[in-house]
Amino acid sequence: MPIDIQQQDGPSAIAEALRKAILEAIPEARVDVSPGGTAHFEIRVEARVFDGMGRVAQQQLVYGAIAPMMSGSNPPVHAIDRLECVVG
Amino acid sequence: MNLEEATRGKIDELIQGSPVMLFMKGTREAPQCGFSAKVVSILDDYLADYRTVDVLSDGEIREGIKTYSSWPTIPQLYVKGEFLGGCDIITEMAGSGELFEALGVDPPEAIVPEIRVKDDAAEALRQAAAQNAEPGQFLHLEVSRNWQTSLSMAPQNSMDIPVEANGVTLMVNRLSAARANGISITLAETANGKGFKVDNPNAPTLSEMSVQELKSLLDSEENFEFIDVRTPSEFETARIPSAVLLDEAAHQRLSELPKETKIVFVCHHGPRGVNAAEQFLSQGFTNVHNVTGGLDAWSTEIDSSVPRY
Repeated sequence: MPIDIQQQDGPSAIAEALRKAILEAIPEARVDVSPGGTAHFEIRVEARVFDGMGRVAQQQLVYGAIAPMMSGSNPPVHAIDRLECVVG
Repeated sequence: MNLEEATRGKIDELIQGSPVMLFMKGTREAPQCGFSAKVVSILDDYLADYRTVDVLSDGEIREGIKTYSSWPTIPQLYVKGEFLGGCDIITEMAGSGELFEALGVDPPEAIVPEIRVKDDAAEALRQAAAQNAEPGQFLHLEVSRNWQTSLSMAPQNSMDIPVEANGVTLMVNRLSAARANGISITLAETANGKGFKVDNPNAPTLSEMSVQELKSLLDSEENFEFIDVRTPSEFETARIPSAVLLDEAAHQRLSELPKETKIVFVCHHGPRGVNAAEQFLSQGFTNVHNVTGGLDAWSTEIDSSVPRY
């Protein structure tokens, strides 16, 4: 997945890119992303696929989808302050 | 993303090398990020011995571990080769009690500690709690492994033990309960006005050692750390032969020793030894001694070949 989002983009644009990236990995999910501090975000994901998965596995699924936006030098996303995964 | 074979191998080795391995920013003694500090403070409460890797000093590990774990943030905790989680999950597991099993630590007995709160302190606690009152928030008292007491407002956890003391309800977590048993809380004048003062009879205290006791200890086979806390120039002037100067390297070495290691401090007359001993007590060392009268007493009472100055 090409990542063309930069840190210079506004928080709402980055939040939207995060949402899209998660939906690409878990199409059936309901995703809420809210910007926190600079390059910090809070994410809530509700999905059926979480059923029967442990906390770590649930979060790994989401983190795996957004990892490209969090790696490298000066990535658009520095931290996810809160990641809530709910069985939907 | 792919991980270089060499990096993967390096991380495998680190994780297999210790039953509890924390990838963090900074070191156990000096964490460089709040999330890492939080996990260290939790682990310190459960375990005397675990290993950490400072990802800030190794860029390859820093990026590699994120891919390795499919987890983009630091800290990351591995237990017996398995990824347990980051800061949020570890905090949650500590609160729910799951962390005992995950770390293979037996939960301490759920005793209800006896806590005495003086009237003025009780009033101040009630006020503090009322000022910060939010639904679901309770006044918590915690006594860390290093015998530091802290008070905070936090949600109730399933491992909390409610304690009534002079009309105040304090939530004490399971790990703190035995350490908090018998403490008394009073109000005292501090540099910044009135503050809570906690007296804890369980906390290890410094023990004084006479030069005669030191002599027989040195003559015995017993293993202990003998540390001179004076300045390098004083150390040059006069010293007891087996004493080691407390420089940066000695400090580092001591900080990595088991907390029950016997440490004997000596200075010129005694007070600096007391300071050093108290500092080590606050780091969790439990078997800490100061030579009463210091080197001067040694020169006058035991060995006159050590010059007085």
